[in-house]
Amino acid sequence: MSWKSRISALALALAVLGGGGLTATPSSAQTRTISGAFDVGPGGLQGNFNTLSATSGFTWLMNYFEPLVIYDDKLANVIGALAKSYQVSADQMSYTFNLVDTKWHDGQAFTSKDVAFTIALARNAKSGSVFAARLGNITAVENPDDHTVVIRLKEPTPNLLDSLTKLLMLPEHALAAIPPEQIAKNAWWSTAPVGTGPFRFVKYVTDQYVELAANQDFRDGRPAVDRLINRYFADAAAAISALRSGEIQFTYVEANDVPTFRDNRDYRIIEGGSFVVNYLGFNQEAGLWADLRVRQAVMYAIDREAIIKSLYRGAAKAANCVYADGRLVPADINPYSHDPAKARKLLAEAGWEKINGSKPITVLTYYNAPLTNNVLAAVQSMLAQVGINIVPRAVDTPTYNATVLKVPGNAQDYPLIFAGLQNGPDPSSINPGLNEKQIPPAGVNIARIKMPAVTQALDSALSQTDQAKSAAAYQEVCRATNANLPWATLWVANRYGVASNKLKDFVWMPAPGGGPYQAHPEKWSISQ
Amino acid sequence: MLRYFAMRLLSGAGMLLALTLLIFILTRLTPGDPIDAYLDPNVPLSQEEVNALRTHLGLDRPLPEQYLAWLGEAARGNLGHSLQRFNETVTGLIAQRVGPTLLLMGSGIAISIILGVSTGVFTAVRRDTLPDFALSATALLGISSPAFLTALLGLYVASVRLKWAPSGGLLTPGAEFSAWDLLQHLLLPALLLSIGQAALIMRYMRASMLEVLNQDYVRTARAKGVREFQVVAKHALRNALLPVLTLIGSTIGLAIGGAIFIERVFNWPGMGLLLVSAVETRDYPVIMGATLVIGSCVIVVNILTDLSYALVDPRIKVG
Amino acid sequence: MLALSRKTASPLARAAGRFVHNRAALFGLALLIPALLILLSYPVWLADAPNDIDLLALNGEPSWRHLFGTDGVGRDVLSRTLEGGRISLLVSVCSVALSTAVGFIVGAVSAFGGRWADAIAMRTVDLVMTLPPAIFLLVIASIAGAGIWSTVFVIALLSWPVLSRMVRARLFELRERDFVLASRGMGAGMWHLLFRHGLPNSIDILVVYATLQVANAILLEAGLSFLGLGIPPPTASWGNMLNGARSTVVLEQFPWEWLFPGGALVLAVLAINFIGDGLRDAFDPRAELGGS
Repeated sequence: MSWKSRISALALALAVLGGGGLTATPSSAQTRTISGAFDVGPGGLQGNFNTLSATSGFTWLMNYFEPLVIYDDKLANVIGALAKSYQVSADQMSYTFNLVDTKWHDGQAFTSKDVAFTIALARNAKSGSVFAARLGNITAVENPDDHTVVIRLKEPTPNLLDSLTKLLMLPEHALAAIPPEQIAKNAWWSTAPVGTGPFRFVKYVTDQYVELAANQDFRDGRPAVDRLINRYFADAAAAISALRSGEIQFTYVEANDVPTFRDNRDYRIIEGGSFVVNYLGFNQEAGLWADLRVRQAVMYAIDREAIIKSLYRGAAKAANCVYADGRLVPADINPYSHDPAKARKLLAEAGWEKINGSKPITVLTYYNAPLTNNVLAAVQSMLAQVGINIVPRAVDTPTYNATVLKVPGNAQDYPLIFAGLQNGPDPSSINPGLNEKQIPPAGVNIARIKMPAVTQALDSALSQTDQAKSAAAYQEVCRATNANLPWATLWVANRYGVASNKLKDFVWMPAPGGGPYQAHPEKWSISQ
Repeated sequence: MLRYFAMRLLSGAGMLLALTLLIFILTRLTPGDPIDAYLDPNVPLSQEEVNALRTHLGLDRPLPEQYLAWLGEAARGNLGHSLQRFNETVTGLIAQRVGPTLLLMGSGIAISIILGVSTGVFTAVRRDTLPDFALSATALLGISSPAFLTALLGLYVASVRLKWAPSGGLLTPGAEFSAWDLLQHLLLPALLLSIGQAALIMRYMRASMLEVLNQDYVRTARAKGVREFQVVAKHALRNALLPVLTLIGSTIGLAIGGAIFIERVFNWPGMGLLLVSAVETRDYPVIMGATLVIGSCVIVVNILTDLSYALVDPRIKVG
Repeated sequence: MLALSRKTASPLARAAGRFVHNRAALFGLALLIPALLILLSYPVWLADAPNDIDLLALNGEPSWRHLFGTDGVGRDVLSRTLEGGRISLLVSVCSVALSTAVGFIVGAVSAFGGRWADAIAMRTVDLVMTLPPAIFLLVIASIAGAGIWSTVFVIALLSWPVLSRMVRARLFELRERDFVLASRGMGAGMWHLLFRHGLPNSIDILVVYATLQVANAILLEAGLSFLGLGIPPPTASWGNMLNGARSTVVLEQFPWEWLFPGGALVLAVLAINFIGDGLRDAFDPRAELGGS
């Protein structure tokens, strides 16, 4: 055989292999598929399939599982999902849910027994559920008939509906046989989960993608596409490459990457509030921040408007208290407008030279995206101008959690933190980070804040059962955090997703934890 | 010989034991545990809820007990279950990764040998011409550039701009398996992986070839009127290849090191990425298992290399 | 003793002679020395400090005001490239100094220290070489925390074993020589053996290794930063500046933010490789492999 004939033989072999591939493609071209990076970004959790221990990743999970009630696509109101309607008793001690008539993906009927089973499982801490404490006020779950569920409480619990939006319903017939302590890591979740959603689970290819197929019998009609694929990526940058090369049609995008897609008619930019307030947390055990004037000086020293305008390109809302939502912010609070002279004066009055002077102060953070690096560099430079010398230290999430949640806390490890905490859609979300009763190990008050005014405001807002007065109560929380500055509150930034314009009726929003919210995945379609 | 082999095996086993102990200690010294890795700092969760997750994993047992338990199971071939994944055995996870790893490394090394040897011979034969300078300069650039930068640029140009290659992964998700699909996904990362090593091989090949071309027997062959192509292909190449082969063996480690960046950029499901994600999520059993497997491979390869030297070259005494 | 000094003095002179005739090596020096001068002197002649932000001039293209443009927080890319060069070189030189010292001492003790010392030292070397570098990097960096000195430590820890093997191989031949046996017989301590006999006889290996390793360390620092384990921002280093290229916007719309530090890095590595190759050829003219 000469070289030439060998090469042509090789070319032939390749052509045959290639032809084999091509003959396989027509069949897959006829099936309509939407691929996306649904678990990339802060709301995603790649590789998690257990709905009971999920803190995020709902954007994907809610395509095949459904909760009883769900937020609408503005995250404004709780509406029915598997419950077509619900009633709350006058004393707020019992909730009645009227269930839809639907079937699980395996054909069995969805009934009130499944709801009772799911709630019982979620309340059983042995199952590794993160709902055990949140559903602690439930005394009984009754199912008078197959389509009615009554939840009875030991005291009014205003955030019950919010908790229920995250509790995805599970089939009793599939899971009852598994002992609760073995359920957390059971293979069922990632191999054969059965839900009621518009798509059913097909397979998970480890660390590569998850594939769903249309649920032909979905109660609101057969989904417009045949398949939904969730690709896994190590970071948002990798997902953007895949989006731009046309392999996926949707991904979360960091704010500073958004300009790539501006003025590009092939893509649609989806923008939404993050419901996460960013702050500099003053560790109260560090001995640096006891004087209110020092904390005020930090607020005055940071030019938040400039950072929002330049680094965030306007896509953030300054937070003068722990909330930025107009409904919860009283008009008369201190805006802490940028005023370095005032900051210097306050520091001088407080005797900052004696307290710390120019010694470096570590600011611990788990944020390590390019944008947050830049933001911290700007904050560092602004604080340096008034004589506060901070040194950012970015660590990975486990290191951060282990450091800040340690009991007893070691304030020298993190005299200051740059972090974010969910402050909506339910405003009570902020409570575990600020309430004195939530100091670790009880909650995530990692700055060890003991401010009676703040704790009182939170407690009275939490116990406010009258929905009409609730907003006013949270305004008091805002007022207290604005006056006492447990944190230097910075802003609530917007987050972005970018979708290919081939997608029609596609709904996504940057909800904390990824949702759940009413996205109607059955309506999503893709043009060829 | 047999005694030497037995000794090497024994010391290899001892080394593996020390390795697992070292990794065990190192991973437990790393701040944060699997639960810390799982929690989203933006979403509040009470410690009561967190502790429910933690007791699940048996992380509250004393450390020596945890290590001995792991060791006992590992000796029986059971590497345990991943703490972050769903009932996946560590053995299963590693088994899934071995194929793609060998595929990427194998094709990377193959490409680098083909590229390196051919350009090395070419530049030696055409020494001091423009192509020689151009290729040598390219090779130097290849050796002096960070692997991740070439990978990022390669991905951007070939995939995002030109759309010649998929942007990552092993196969097109959801599509039926086809060799063509695999090849498309493989080619770019393998090519980028080979750059550094190809450049190194080229430089050695070129130098080795130049030396051989100046040897007496080559000059004799030329003087006898053998055609230049024959001189190069038959007489020089074979002798020049020997030292380069040793180099290739010793630089496989380099490919493993570079592979982690390529795997990261291209989301290639190899051992490197498994290990990195296991460390990031503090998935202890996966870290231990993967280290054990990689460590054993290195030790076995070392023993085999030494043995083969001893077999090939009688001057090398073993023992 | 006399034999030894004659043996070392003249080869050194000859090596120096060969080195100054190596064009590539001289080119490397011609690149590196001015670069070092610029790096060390830049605060004197450059008005912009590497961490001065300017929120009104984000991602500015190269201009007379900012020769290399500005980055995402309006910092001057030129001054950050120079500061990054200082940091990258500091990290690589320190880590190489550390790893050369450790590598030499372990190798020499292993050669001179008798069977047990040899066995322990070499098994340790094997152990370190068996560790997957990735996990080693990740774990050490997350224990020590990111920072200049932990990066130095990680890079040093990864690179000493190869050197100690080379030193050991070289000194093993020496061990049985008369003058070493004589000094041992006279009760010379390990310290004496190491520095009177070990060092002069392995100095060529050390110099060549250290030079080439500086280049590797620069690349390694960049790689660490890519994995998020190197020098933490806002401190500039070539590695973390290059990391910006991950973002497609920076990659395609603001190329000056990664092209300049990238170019500086490649040039530095290239120059050091030239010099290292030149040194290797100069010390051992037969080992031409890869040197031409």
